[in-house]
Amino acid sequence: MAIVATTTKFSIYGRPVLAWIVGLIFFFPIFWLVLTSFKTDADAVKPEFLFFFTPTLDNYLNMTENYDYWRFATNSVITSVFATVFALAVGIPCAYAMAFNPSRATKDVLMWMLSTKMLPAAAVLYPMTFITKSIGLFDTHFMVILVLMLINLPIVIWMLFTYFKEIPKDIIEAGQMDGVSTWGEVKEILIPLAWGGIASTALLCFIFCWNEAYWTVRLTTTEAATLSKLIEGNRAPEGLFFGRLSAVSAAAVGPIVVLGWFCQKQLVQGLTFGAVK
Amino acid sequence: MGRIVLENVTKSFGETQVIPPLNLTIEDGEFAVFVGPSGCGKSTLLRLIAGLEETTSGQILIDGEDATQIPPSKRGLAMVFQSYALYPHMTVRKNIAFPLRMAKMDQSEIDKKVEGAAKILNLADYLEQKPGQLSGGQRQRVAIGRAIVREPAAFLFDEPLSNLDAALRVGMRLEISELHNRLETTMIYVTHDQVEAMTMANKIVVLRAGHIEQVGSPLDLYRTPRNLFVAGFIGSPKMNFIEGPEAEKHGAKTIGVRPEHITVSADTGPWSGRVGVSEHLGSDTFFHIHDTGLAETITVRADGEVGFKHGDTVHLTPRADVIHRFDAEGLRIA
Amino acid sequence: MSSRKLPRLLQTPAVVLLLIWMLIPLSMTLYFSFIRYVLNSLRRPEWTTPSLSNWRGFGNYEFVLNSKDFLFAIQNSLFIVCSILFLTVALGVLIAVMINKAFPGQGIVRVLLISPFFVMPAVNAVLWINMILDPVLGLQGLAVNGINDLIASLQGAPGIGWFFSLWPEIEPISFRATQTSAYAVIIMVTWQWTPFAVLIFMTSLQSEDQQQKEAAVLDGAGTYSQFRFLTLPHLSRPIAIVVMIQAIFHLSLYAEIEIVSRGNGNKNLPYLIGEFANNNIGAASATGIFAVILANVVAIFLLRMIGKTLME
Repeated sequence: MAIVATTTKFSIYGRPVLAWIVGLIFFFPIFWLVLTSFKTDADAVKPEFLFFFTPTLDNYLNMTENYDYWRFATNSVITSVFATVFALAVGIPCAYAMAFNPSRATKDVLMWMLSTKMLPAAAVLYPMTFITKSIGLFDTHFMVILVLMLINLPIVIWMLFTYFKEIPKDIIEAGQMDGVSTWGEVKEILIPLAWGGIASTALLCFIFCWNEAYWTVRLTTTEAATLSKLIEGNRAPEGLFFGRLSAVSAAAVGPIVVLGWFCQKQLVQGLTFGAVK
Repeated sequence: MGRIVLENVTKSFGETQVIPPLNLTIEDGEFAVFVGPSGCGKSTLLRLIAGLEETTSGQILIDGEDATQIPPSKRGLAMVFQSYALYPHMTVRKNIAFPLRMAKMDQSEIDKKVEGAAKILNLADYLEQKPGQLSGGQRQRVAIGRAIVREPAAFLFDEPLSNLDAALRVGMRLEISELHNRLETTMIYVTHDQVEAMTMANKIVVLRAGHIEQVGSPLDLYRTPRNLFVAGFIGSPKMNFIEGPEAEKHGAKTIGVRPEHITVSADTGPWSGRVGVSEHLGSDTFFHIHDTGLAETITVRADGEVGFKHGDTVHLTPRADVIHRFDAEGLRIA
Repeated sequence: MSSRKLPRLLQTPAVVLLLIWMLIPLSMTLYFSFIRYVLNSLRRPEWTTPSLSNWRGFGNYEFVLNSKDFLFAIQNSLFIVCSILFLTVALGVLIAVMINKAFPGQGIVRVLLISPFFVMPAVNAVLWINMILDPVLGLQGLAVNGINDLIASLQGAPGIGWFFSLWPEIEPISFRATQTSAYAVIIMVTWQWTPFAVLIFMTSLQSEDQQQKEAAVLDGAGTYSQFRFLTLPHLSRPIAIVVMIQAIFHLSLYAEIEIVSRGNGNKNLPYLIGEFANNNIGAASATGIFAVILANVVAIFLLRMIGKTLME
């Protein structure tokens, strides 16, 4: 392929260099966060220790003492895992029904589901607080799991629907001819075939749950509070605790960023509902 | 046993009726081919028999029993799909065994049947491979294997050869015909290719827009097409249709003459014209003759050695005993 | 056929759950928006419990419409969302076109680029507003100080000192004022979502028809014409999708505003609702209904535009 434009010097040397620069610029804030987390609070704001300082692990070692990190982290893990599991448990049958046994309303239902995602959460803030408080579920894991599951359900169903649609209908019909039950169809054919899609949907749902910062902040105080609540509650140190705040922030986003690296390719296909491959 | 009877079967998708009331009987052991242009409803008809689509009204009887409300797997039919529809996550062995496993058959029994089918279809060496590693023809055989082991009352084929290349298609055509001779089970086969229909069927069902245009053996259809559509659809190259004074001479609105029923010569014959394109197949040559005053083009089959060139003037003689006559509605005049 | 009914029934749990999730709180919001309802009132204690006898009609709506915060919040919401959309799409196309071709380390660059997308919004805000944009202690403050020190030392240098003595001392920008904190929000969200746009555009570019491009080269199209007449039209669909997905997420942008702008007047609709909800539930609910209407207008517009292509 001898396209003239691709053989210029720019594309041989300039392009990679530029690409690396852009990549490093975008990564820099995260790098800075991690770097700062190894400085003492005092060093973190001193210009002379910008890049050269004596690294310390104290910020990480004192996370429990300073912020009660593990309690929040445990809550984040519990709520995100269960919300993801439940979203899949409700979403897989739904997406299966829509992909392989569509009715005339299916398209409208899918569009409606997507539009619920556009409703501003704030509009129902008070009723939600009111309801959860009056049925005694305020600040409980159950409520956080339920809400996280519900707000991610439309995206989960959409993603699964796109993955399921890629399975040829013939195969499902061959299964029907071969005598599988509805449950057998899901277990023997659908799940083995869409395993990759289900896994990346789960991963993405987990990430969204982990990062959610509206309901987790508004519907909890201490018992079920997640890492979002922890960071939000310690937001304005005015330079006092840059070191320790960086450490706890890095610990809050680190696992999820690494997880994200593994599903970045699926992310594109999933979040664009298969429209971009 | 596999006698399939359709009684007043209709199918509508929403407002549009794709199959108007239709009656058809397929006898046990017959090789029936549904043929017609795309969109004629032939696949829908097959899927109605399979149970993959619900009938809107009417009855489907399999061996005398009303099967209209029976789910696909309980009808005792096996289907081979155009895309083969193999389970990509299972080995060939598991693919073939799948319907038996679903029927909760004994493992030893399953193994025996799978081995048997693999032997018939020359798949014994590939049993442990996944479909993705096989060639198109082998996948096709696996799909057939999956159908055979169920020992169905009838096999349903939905354009099974259209994803294969031309050479393989001819080979598979023979294999399926041989399989039919060996098993003597009813087979219903859907295709848009009239050559497949002619070469394989005992009974051809020509469909257009959901209607049955004609049912009969291949030679019936070739010799006595009931109307213009069947006449034009069966036979290759297509029958020549001539209207106007020449047709009126025979007391018809349209007359049809097959290319193989016209003799071409340099000097004698009632019709004359100029040679356009010549297609040399070796054994035969097809001449497309223009300026005959009869139709846009008249196609003629001649011997492979006949050497007319582009622009030559030639004379044509139709065989009088095989001129097909059609009335103003396009129906055959007996 | 009865065998199809069960599979179809399988979608009911999800549909019912989402219906409940949408309808119950929303109808409560609608109800509260028509009554006087406050959390604390010494003067009128009967207003502290929701009741039909406190009916206020459209009074809450009038109150909200007349408050100067409301118009500002709407303008600000649109300003923030549209700026983010524009910046992410423009930067995204630019970067994607630039780094589309294979080069050494492309995989690593992709990983570096996508990382910001997975950072939780709360950390994103804390990180940017404190450690990067703070006018004194953040990187911005440190950088401005450094430049000022450098200029000061150059002013004493022989020969060129007079030139630098004409330079003013650079003032760092505070991103905690009303207007500038909106910029801060735009910067941090653009940082987070540009990578997402880049990834999608890059994926889409890989499916661009190379033969078409070669044909264009033979037809004499230059690099710019190729971009303008082939690449950009090819990207129109992914651009539409990026706009839609971001609109979904940014209309309810909250954590960043909350962390960056507490008490300094920079607010969007969700934030204004939160403010009202501290006491005046009636007004908060009326604002909520306005937010729903705004979201619906955007949603209808976007789904009309993109929905059909998604279903194919």
